[in-house]
Parts: sequence; structure tokens; C-alpha cells
Amino acid sequence: MPQIRHRIIRFSVDHPRLIVIAAILITIALIIPIPNAVIDTDPENMLASGEPVRAVHKEIKEEFSLSDFLVVGFVGQTDLTAPDFIERLGLLVAAVEEMESVVTEDIWAPSTVDDIYRTPDGTLVIGPLTGPRTGWEDNQPSVAAKIAGNPILRGKIASGDGRAVALYIPLESKTYAHDVSEQVKAEMAAIGGFGEYHIAGLPVAEETFGTEMFRQMAISAPLAGILIFLLMLIFFRRFSVVASPMIVAVMTVIWTMGLLVLLKFPLHIMSSMIPIFLMPIAVLDSIHILSEFHDRYQQSSSRRAAITSTLEELFAPMLFTSITTFVGFISLVSAPIPPVRVFGVFVATGVAVAWVLSMTFNPAYAMLLPERVLARFGRLDEGRSFLGRLLPRAGRFAAKARIPILVVSVLALAFATVGISKIVINDNPTKWFKPAHPIRVAEEKLGEHLAGTYEAYLLFDATGTADETVKDPAVLTYMEGLQRHLEQMPQVGATTGVTDIVKKVRFELKDGDPAANSIPNNAEEIAQELFLYEAAGGDSEDLYKFITPDGGKAVLWLQLREGDNLAVAEVVQATERYTRTVPPPAGLTFAWGGLTYVNIVWQDKMVSGMRNALLGSFAVVLIMMIILLRSVILGLISMVPLSVTIAMVYGLVGWTGKSYDMPIAVLSSLTLGLSIDFAIHFLKRGQEIYARRGSLAATLEELFEEPARAIARNIVVIALGFVPLLFSSLVPYITVGVFFLLIMGLSGVATLFILPALLHVRGARALQRWGAVRVRDDGTIDEMAVLAQSGKETVA
Amino acid sequence: MKKVMTLGVLVFVLIAVTPLAWADDAAEALMNESHQAYYYAADGGSARVTMVLTDKKGRTRNREFWMLRRDVEDMGDQRYYTYFIKPADISRTAFLVHKNAAGNDDRWLYMPSLDLVKRIAADDRRTSFVGSDFTYEDVSGRLPILDTHEIIGADTALGRSATKVKSTPKDPKTADYAYRVTWVDDATKLSLREEYYDKNDVEVRLFEVGKIETIDGIPTAVERTMSDLKGNHSTTISFAEISYAAPLDADEFNERLLRNAPSAYTR
Repeated sequence: MPQIRHRIIRFSVDHPRLIVIAAILITIALIIPIPNAVIDTDPENMLASGEPVRAVHKEIKEEFSLSDFLVVGFVGQTDLTAPDFIERLGLLVAAVEEMESVVTEDIWAPSTVDDIYRTPDGTLVIGPLTGPRTGWEDNQPSVAAKIAGNPILRGKIASGDGRAVALYIPLESKTYAHDVSEQVKAEMAAIGGFGEYHIAGLPVAEETFGTEMFRQMAISAPLAGILIFLLMLIFFRRFSVVASPMIVAVMTVIWTMGLLVLLKFPLHIMSSMIPIFLMPIAVLDSIHILSEFHDRYQQSSSRRAAITSTLEELFAPMLFTSITTFVGFISLVSAPIPPVRVFGVFVATGVAVAWVLSMTFNPAYAMLLPERVLARFGRLDEGRSFLGRLLPRAGRFAAKARIPILVVSVLALAFATVGISKIVINDNPTKWFKPAHPIRVAEEKLGEHLAGTYEAYLLFDATGTADETVKDPAVLTYMEGLQRHLEQMPQVGATTGVTDIVKKVRFELKDGDPAANSIPNNAEEIAQELFLYEAAGGDSEDLYKFITPDGGKAVLWLQLREGDNLAVAEVVQATERYTRTVPPPAGLTFAWGGLTYVNIVWQDKMVSGMRNALLGSFAVVLIMMIILLRSVILGLISMVPLSVTIAMVYGLVGWTGKSYDMPIAVLSSLTLGLSIDFAIHFLKRGQEIYARRGSLAATLEELFEEPARAIARNIVVIALGFVPLLFSSLVPYITVGVFFLLIMGLSGVATLFILPALLHVRGARALQRWGAVRVRDDGTIDEMAVLAQSGKETVA
Repeated sequence: MKKVMTLGVLVFVLIAVTPLAWADDAAEALMNESHQAYYYAADGGSARVTMVLTDKKGRTRNREFWMLRRDVEDMGDQRYYTYFIKPADISRTAFLVHKNAAGNDDRWLYMPSLDLVKRIAADDRRTSFVGSDFTYEDVSGRLPILDTHEIIGADTALGRSATKVKSTPKDPKTADYAYRVTWVDDATKLSLREEYYDKNDVEVRLFEVGKIETIDGIPTAVERTMSDLKGNHSTTISFAEISYAAPLDADEFNERLLRNAPSAYTR
């Protein structure tokens, strides 16, 4: 180990030009592929493409020709189904039909759907909803009333009072969502008189996501860079010196993103956060180097000696902090969520890159700086700086107040434990947008007036039943029963199935007899009613949205007013309970599809996956700490501040009632890998000082000078480095920002207070490693052991 | 001199205009002839029809039915009766159409499971015929008088020489296409191919005859396919056991027939 260390350090100091040129060349090579990055905003890709739930979801979408659609919702104070508005809507639909990528025949609007009714002389008519009813003469019902009387349209096309009307525009490809919505807006402006409207739907949401992700990388990450640069300028006051870590950070980001794109990984909401994660992480090692160099430069005989001794001292702690951070991120590989895995691997890669560059580029850069630039570097008396005055006091306070500090920590843990038990696991990708975002507003307005814009699909597969068809009274009666059962739930806005078509046709066929508004108990009658639907002018393709042409499968549409995973999971559970208590016809099987269902599946996977990642990285980091510090007790002690912090923050999540969602789940294990860094520097360097000075009190005193300053600077940089995320328009980014600020800030402070308190409680030998310096019970040092120790270090 | 000039102009105008006027007349005559050959052959007839519906995923559904036709008068009213044999769950379902050249048709459906005859809406000939890609109008014919016709050239279709006629609806509201082009077989006058275009000159529907046979001396299109080019689905109908012997009298196409199918057609 020491040989490698010496060799790396010597190489960097001896060949500064070579290192700088090589770094620049690699950077140029890796910047080239970046513009070719492919964006992936498909929420389905939170799950691997081979996931069974995705296969079922895809099968349902394909088998029933269900496209992703834009929803244009209109909300007014009067009945919008009145003729003048319907006419405008008809013009809009005609224009939409001409737009590229629109699945013309599947557009749902008052002007494109059918009305099912009978004339006074008993003729069954299936004809355009917006046209006058034949034979009804002066008794024409309003379009809203016709919709309210039709279970197939109810809650979808318009509200009962007509004050909300919706237009569904299915798209062949989601990439046209933005184009189509812009064209729709232009068309509405040209036609005029549409009033309040909202455009919602998954394709729009995804489009917005994509834009937001780019903004994230193009604005937030550079902003973080500038913020960090300013902080470092305050710390070290030398532009040309501070430039070095900034170059390291920028190169780290470019290398990592270049590799990501080169290896054909798409940019996902997770991977778009890689730059802003790497920015602060990449400068952490440099800050330690600069802090130490700052202190040593003026006392050293030469620049070369100052650099070499700085790197020698910091090599082990920096290696270990990088490895623990690496472990924290790489543990995400165990998550069953591909984008999270990619994120983990590439941030871990970036951490490794940052370490290599910190160890090579920083010294090389320092060697190339003109001597005069460094002339006054570090002259400032650190003891008079704000941190220089504050930290020693903090150290003395921690020593004195060790018992209160530990009592507070234990109380905090208890508070946190209760909070954690209150955690509610829930997520809703729509709520990743802020409440005022047009998509959220649209979602809310349409949910308020219509049956909701969240869709789930329940597939009824009758291919295993005796008659191999859903056109069987037992199957349809079962579907009907389940529909009525689920509709009692507040989050279920509407359910629609082939049952509703059969019932509606039968009701009209039997001259509006209320008893006929039910599923017949005769398979032939069902088949003939569906046939009648087609024969009387109903569109077969509309029928195929609910039942396959061979009748083997049917799909029940569930429109939900709430898209929260909790609300969706309740519906799924209610369905499972129903199928357990009311046995379905033999051979009938069920499967769920729809994005809302895909979401709850990936949430389940992520929660368990992240818990395992957290436990795994906790164990790995603990073992590493024991090895690094050569002490089981110290290893355990080193884990205390961050454990208290993470428990506190998650406890707060529980207490405040914030949903435990995607970002919060992902952050747990990686904050562990980052926040242990403070403890590593504190304890590792504590041991080195202790080996030199032999007294715990003296060691702690020295620890609260330069090492504590470096740690404090790191705390500030890593906590504030994520602040630009607070200004994002997407909630997950904000959550990440707030979380990092909290966890890094708290765990940094906890490290500086809890560790000295614990060391004092442990006593004079607290910093001893196994087989190293021996301290006598009276606190004096066995001189021979110290000699042996330093000899061993030198020899090695 | 002035008279000569006038006469000259008149002759010139006549010469210039005549071919066009003649072409229009010829086109209309040709379409009338074609319509007669296609929809009004003999005084009626019967056939066992197999209908294959292919949806946009390529999945197919088969229907089998007897179809009986009786003309009340050539190029005028007709009676159609359809008796379903397959699929089993709709067998015995029957369908009756009175095509009224002058106004709306009358349509009734008999549902055996309920032993019920239901009159169904008939104010739009463009609605689908039993869920297929053929409309009622495709099945019973669109009268040539509703369109203006123009011969636009000669071509071949189904390996036969044909005349191309462009037909434009006189009243755009009576059709859901802007115009259509028909390939009229020079030998039989049967329509071999029809392309339907929207107002942007995009072909939206396609009708094709797959096979022509001569039965009882009458050339008959025994396989016909209608494709919806936008929705990407199609329907093919094939005719078997064709007879041009009028099966019933026109007044026998009534509710009784719906309820009691002649035994010859219930096989």
C-alpha cells in the first residue's frame, strides 16, 4: 500500500504536464458523445423491460388498441355541451384529425362518440351523440344529459351538468405530444371562445419531464458549480488555486456523463441528477488537500515537499472516504429499478474518477502554478477566521457537554424511531409536478368534474373457461358485481366494460325497462346484443376497446380520481378480497395493467430494494471502518453520528407525514456513504495525531484546528451544493435538495459533537488501534510502542 | 360575313365542347350500366356468404350467412334478407332491409334469443353493415344519380382492361369521401376496383374484386374486399352457392320471413 501511495504521489509531482495534458485529452474525447444523449422519460422504464407486469400492461394496451393520450379539458360556468360550444369543439376535432401522429379513429370527443337510444316508435339507433335524436322532435335532450344516461361515456366525455367537457387525443407516438398540444392551442386560439382549458395526460407530463431534466443539467448543475466555486473562494481566497478543484469537478462530470452516453444508457430522471451529485462530491477530496496544503505551504521548505506531505497525510482518509461513498452509490445496484441502478453505477464511477483526478490533477496543477501565485497562499492566520475561532470552541463544548450531547442523541433516536414507525409509503408521479403546474391543475380540475384522469385496467381472461369466452353470463355478471363493488370506493370515479354496452343495448332494446338494465342470463342473448350493437351502427373498433374480437378476453377500465399509489393499491386489494370472497367462474383469470398499477409494482420493488441496499451498505461501511480504524469499537462509534442523523431525517419524514417516495427511498443508502466521510476524516486523522501526541485531549484540540476546518468546509460545500435543486420545478429534485441539505448538515454537526463526546466517554484509549500504541492506565504513553509504531510506518 | 363568323364560332364551340359533354354522358351511362350489372343482375338471387373481418392487429372473425335479394324494379327499390349461420351464438339471427331508392331504407333485426324483431336506425347508409368495413351503401349500392361522373382514362384491374371513372358526390353531405375512382370492367361492366379519396387527395378506402365467375350466364364478383386504409382493417366477402333464380316474391320480405327462415337457408 505505501509503495503504491508513494508512487502515485511522486508520479503526479514529477510529471505534471503529462497529467494535465492527458486529463484534457480524455475530457475532450468524452465530451464528444454527450450531445448524442438519448432521453428516456417513460415512467414504465422504472421497471426492467422483462418485468411481467410490463408484459401484461403492454399486452393489454396492444390487445385493446389503447394508446397514450392527451386530454384537453374545458371547464366553464355554463353547459358546455350546448350547440355553439359543441360546434367549436367539432371544428377543433376536425383540425386534430389532420395532425400528425394522432390516431384519428380513436379520438374521443362529444362529436366522435355514439349515442345509443330508441325512437318513440321503438327503433334502436346508434348514431352521433351531437346530432338530434331521430323522432324526438321537440324533446331533444342536451348532450350532457345523453352522456349522463350512457354508462360508456359517463364521467369521461362530459360531467352531468355539462360544465366540464373533455377531448381525448390518442397518439401513435409520445414524441409528438408537445407538437400536438401546441397545435391544439393554436387551433383553439384560431377558432376562439373556448374559455378555460387544461391539457393533461401522460405524454404531456413526459414531455415536461424531458425539458425539466435538461434544465436540471444545464442550469442547476452549473449553478451548483458556481456556488461551490464561490464557497471555496471564500475559504481559500485564491482564484487560481481554487480553479484546480473546479476543473477536477467539471472533468469528473464530463467523464462520467460521456461514459454514460458512450455506453448507450439513456438519460432518465435519475441519471439527469448525476452531474449535480458529482459536482460537490468531486471537490470534497480537493478541499481536504487544499486545507492541508494551505496550512503547510508556508512552513515547508518547498512546494514539492508541501504537496507530498499533504498527500501522504491525506491518502488513507481520502481513499476510504471515496470508497465508502463509492459503496453507498454502488449499493444501488441491488435495487430492482434500472434507472436507479444506472444512477448508482455512474455516480460511483464518478466518485472513482474524482478520486483519481484529485490525487493526480490537483498536485500536477499546483506544480505548474507560477511560484508568485502561491507566494502569499496560506499566509492568513487561520486561527482568526470565523471557522478558525468557532471550531475549537465547539470542540471544547463537546468535551464538556458530552453527557448532555449523548442524552440528546438518545432522545433524538427515540423520537426518530417513533417517527419512522409512522412513515407512509406512497408516491404519485403526477405529484412530481408542483401543485400549480398546469398538469397538476388539469388533473385536479378534471378529477373534480369528471371521473378522473388516472387509468387502471383489469384484464378478464376467459380463455381458460369452459366456453373460452367472456360473452358468458357468469363472467359478465361477475364483472358487473366487481364494478359495483369497486365503485363504492371514493377514489374510483368510473368503471367501464363490455358489460355496460350489453346493458345499455338491452335496456334500449326492451324499451327502457329498468329491469333490463342488467346482464342477461343467456349467452346467446349477450352475443346477439353485441351483434345488434354492431348491426345498428356501433363501431366494432369501439367494441374492441373492451373485448377481443374472439371474445376470449375483456378489459375493465377503471378511472381513478386519485393516482396516489396508496389509493391504487387499495383498489387492487379490494379486488383481491372480492375475488377471494366471491369465487369467480372456473378458469377465469385476472391481470392488472395501466400505469397506475405499474407504479405500485415498482414502488414495492424499490422500497424493499432500497432497504436492502441501506442494510447492505451499512454493513459494508461498518466493516470498512473497522479495518480502517483497526478497532471494532471505533468502527461502531464512527457509525453513530450518521445513524442518528439518518434516523432523525427519516423520523421527520414520518412525523411530518411526507410520503416516503422515490427520491426519499433512493437517498437513504447513498447519504450513508457520503456522511460517513466526516467521521473518517475525524477519526482517521485523530488516530494519526494521537499517534504523534499521545493524549486524547491534545489530539482533540488539534483535531478542531485544520482537520475540523476541512470537515466543516466539506459540510458546507456538500450541503449547499445541492441548494440549486430547491429551485427546480419538479418535486423529486427539491426533495433531494432538502434531504441532502438536512442529512449532510445534520450529520456533519453530529460528527463534530457526538464523536468527541463518545471518545471522551470511552476514555483516554479511545483512539487506539489494535496492536498499535499502548497507553498506560494512567494515560501516559509507552514510549517504546510509539517508537515501534513510527518505525513500522517508516519501514513500510 | 358576320353570320359566317358566328357560325364558325358556334361550330368551334360545338367541336370543343362536344367531346367533354359526350364524355360526361358516357361516364354516366357507363356507371348506370355498371350499377345495373353489379346490384341489379337478374331480378334477384341468393348466395351463401362468408365474411372475414380482419382488425388492425390482423385478428380475424368469421361470419357466415345466406343473403337473399329481390328487386322491386331495376335501378329502384330492393329487398334484402340476411340469415346468419355462424358464429353459433348469433345463428338464426336475421336481418331485413327494404332499400328505398327515394328515401331512407327500413331495417329490422330478429334476435332469436329474445324472439324479438327490432327495427334499427336506417337514416344513414354509410353506417357499417354488421360491423364490417362494408357500409349498407356498399352492399346495396349508391345510385349513380347522386354523383357526377367523368372518364379519366383506361387502365387494367384484376388483369382485365377497364375504364377509370371519377365520381364526385353532388352533395358532399351524402358521402364521407370527397370523390372516388372506379375501374369499370370493359367486358362485364362490373366494378373491379374503387379508390376512395378524402378532400386532401389521400386514399382512405379501397374496394377490390378478387375473383369473377359467370353464373347462370351472369358475370358475378364472387370475392370482394373492402379495406379501411386509415384504420388499417378490412373485410372480405366470398359468395358461394350463387343462384339467380328469384327466391321469394318482394312482398315475402317481411317480419314473418325474419321469424321463420325458409328451410333451404337454415343449413
